[in-house]
Amino acid sequence: MSTVNPTNAAPPFRQVLAESLREEASVWLFVVKTLISFFAAGWLAMRFDLPAPSTAMLTTIIVANRQSGMVLAKSFYRTIGTLAGATAAIGIVASFPQQRDLFLVALSLWIGLCAGGATLYRNFKSYAFVLAGYTAAIVAVPVIDNPPGVFDSAVARISEVLLGLLVSGVVNDVVFPSRMRDVLRRAARDQFAHFVGFVRDSTEGAIPRDAMEKAHLRFVRAAVTLEDLRSSVIFEDAEARARSNHMRLFNQRFMAASTSFQSLHHLINRLKRAKRVRTADTLIRLYAPLGEALHAPIDAGLAARVLLPRIVTARDAMRRQAAELRTTLDDPQDLRDFDTGASLLGRFAEELHAYVDAAASLQSPRVIGGSAERVSFDRGNDFIGAGIATFRTTLTMLVLGAFWIESAWPMGASAMLLATIFAGLFATTPNPTRVTWLVMLGYLAGMVAGFVCLFFVLTQVDGYGLLIIGVAPFLAIGLVMMMTPSLASIGLGWAMGFAYILALKNVQTYDPAHFINDAIAQVIGLGAAAASFVVIPPAIGSAWLRRRQLARLRSQVALAAEAPLPGLRHRFESVNHDLVSQVVAQTQPGSADSRALIAWALAVHETGRALIELRHDMGRRDVPGTLRPYLDEALHTLARFYEKPDAPGYLLARDAVATAIASVGEHEGEGYLLEHLHLVRLALLDGESVLAAYMPTAPLTKDIAHAS
Amino acid sequence: MPREIALGDALVPGLLVLFVLSLLLLWLLDAIAGRFGLYRLVWHPPLFRLAVFVCVFGAFALFLI
Repeated sequence: MSTVNPTNAAPPFRQVLAESLREEASVWLFVVKTLISFFAAGWLAMRFDLPAPSTAMLTTIIVANRQSGMVLAKSFYRTIGTLAGATAAIGIVASFPQQRDLFLVALSLWIGLCAGGATLYRNFKSYAFVLAGYTAAIVAVPVIDNPPGVFDSAVARISEVLLGLLVSGVVNDVVFPSRMRDVLRRAARDQFAHFVGFVRDSTEGAIPRDAMEKAHLRFVRAAVTLEDLRSSVIFEDAEARARSNHMRLFNQRFMAASTSFQSLHHLINRLKRAKRVRTADTLIRLYAPLGEALHAPIDAGLAARVLLPRIVTARDAMRRQAAELRTTLDDPQDLRDFDTGASLLGRFAEELHAYVDAAASLQSPRVIGGSAERVSFDRGNDFIGAGIATFRTTLTMLVLGAFWIESAWPMGASAMLLATIFAGLFATTPNPTRVTWLVMLGYLAGMVAGFVCLFFVLTQVDGYGLLIIGVAPFLAIGLVMMMTPSLASIGLGWAMGFAYILALKNVQTYDPAHFINDAIAQVIGLGAAAASFVVIPPAIGSAWLRRRQLARLRSQVALAAEAPLPGLRHRFESVNHDLVSQVVAQTQPGSADSRALIAWALAVHETGRALIELRHDMGRRDVPGTLRPYLDEALHTLARFYEKPDAPGYLLARDAVATAIASVGEHEGEGYLLEHLHLVRLALLDGESVLAAYMPTAPLTKDIAHAS
Repeated sequence: MPREIALGDALVPGLLVLFVLSLLLLWLLDAIAGRFGLYRLVWHPPLFRLAVFVCVFGAFALFLI
């Protein structure tokens, strides 16, 4: 075939075949790796004579993932969670060894608190909390009749889980690892190329507002994705760990530069809209050297380093030209807007330089210098949402516990455990009711498969080798489903239900009656978890939480205006990005909610950054005592307006900013403050922004002229 | 290192203590190798790391009496 000339139709077909084969291969690689770790963990657990080898086996399924870094990251947090949970279990049992009511209340509270804590984190940290919760139940509930056994129970649980983690960690890391480092590297490179390309292409002039909003959304996503990837990759790759701080710095500088860039373009857009084309064009001309500087091939290896000197040259050229271009304008208002734009451009050029510098030090083969400046990515958390999760989980546990005590149900422990596990595991997903139902379906199917496997297949075989052959096909079905996006939840349920109900141990017991009783208890536990999500809907994804997050986003301006300055810039940017990405993940793209969010995010970003720069400048130089009250008043009213936007607040803020500008004008040598204040004022008066809703219906003519 | 150690009256195998110690040492070696880019000289870094761990743990186990 290879010797003949391929027909025109052949390459696409072959390509399609190769693509689908590669996709299939990665699925089957995942299945094989998971099966290897499943059976290796089981075999070792049996050799070590651990009481429940099935726990070690189940662990390998829970942490299974296509990416090695994810497996290691999840394993790390699972270790922490398991240790914390086992410690808590020993504490609870030791406190109430003879008081079942108090014992259940304490346990429910602990589980609830852990579920609440889980909602405060994204990525795997939340998983550690969930685990700390249900490990306590797993350790403590079985020994409720025999309190002195709690220590052995804790040790057994810890050894089983750690064994499972160790085995799947080694297998996933060593056997054909699929490296997330490459994904991270690609993400960082894409982010860099996109941003630089976007800046370069937009030097020609104005960008329409919707394109700007889309770009903003993309930048936010890129920043948050990069942070999420970074937090997992550090587990798989020592080199990535060594560069982790550089990576953070790179991301922070990206966020800062993209915010300044947007402010600049909003300014140009506003000038154009107000038919003040001359000022806008002068600004665009001023900005041209930067665009030329970025005209270099950016996919070559050493790209970022090449760009550095060019940006420096462009910056110097811009400084020289600024004075020259300024003389071409005569109208005082034009001059004022030009100054604002020029200072914004200066800030952007500095930040772009810093960003490219960070990219260059990331691309260099050696890790440069000691550690980079320490920065962290702060998250925007909601404590009331966490409170709801705590309440729901505690209530579920209490109801089930009461039912267990009242009915003296022998299988109550099983139901209680399953409810704990699932209420915790799915509390952080956006649509837990649906996910829990799907998992429950899969769980049921998995238990049926377990029944067939246990009583028709395993009774016929002898020895571990044959056990592997007997069990693997059943498990593989679930694992393949896990890798199919539409069936992922069902597949997870299948694999867990199958492994859990099979309960493989050294001396396997074949007791259909016990099997069925256990299965019923587990289904009831799962159902209780699902019902609890219906009765007390989770906060995540609800309109109520979205409103709260939006309010939180707006109050970021108050943070910018009032929080202590050190580290504020990073804190402001990262919390903003985290909040926006949270809400974006929970809204339909293009819906009214999502548009309102982006409009607010743009306004908050622009005003907040200008306020922070203003405060930095105020702190750097001495502001005369006669001027300071006006500036403070402007900051204060702006903060209040953004916290609680309404028409009177808008007027107050607008007037306070105008007064501040006027009083800065009265003082000699304080002109450097004007630029930031102008920027804030222009953002306030922008008729296209989200603030338009609060503007008086008939604005004063003078303001229109100023505004824009 | 004795074969069994009493930690807070719970008997812990000495091998487990050595295992944790060698994990710590491995973590240190790993950080150094990552810092200086030594993994670039190796074909399969995780396999190499596992092999180093086996060596470290094996050497530590000789301390067991």
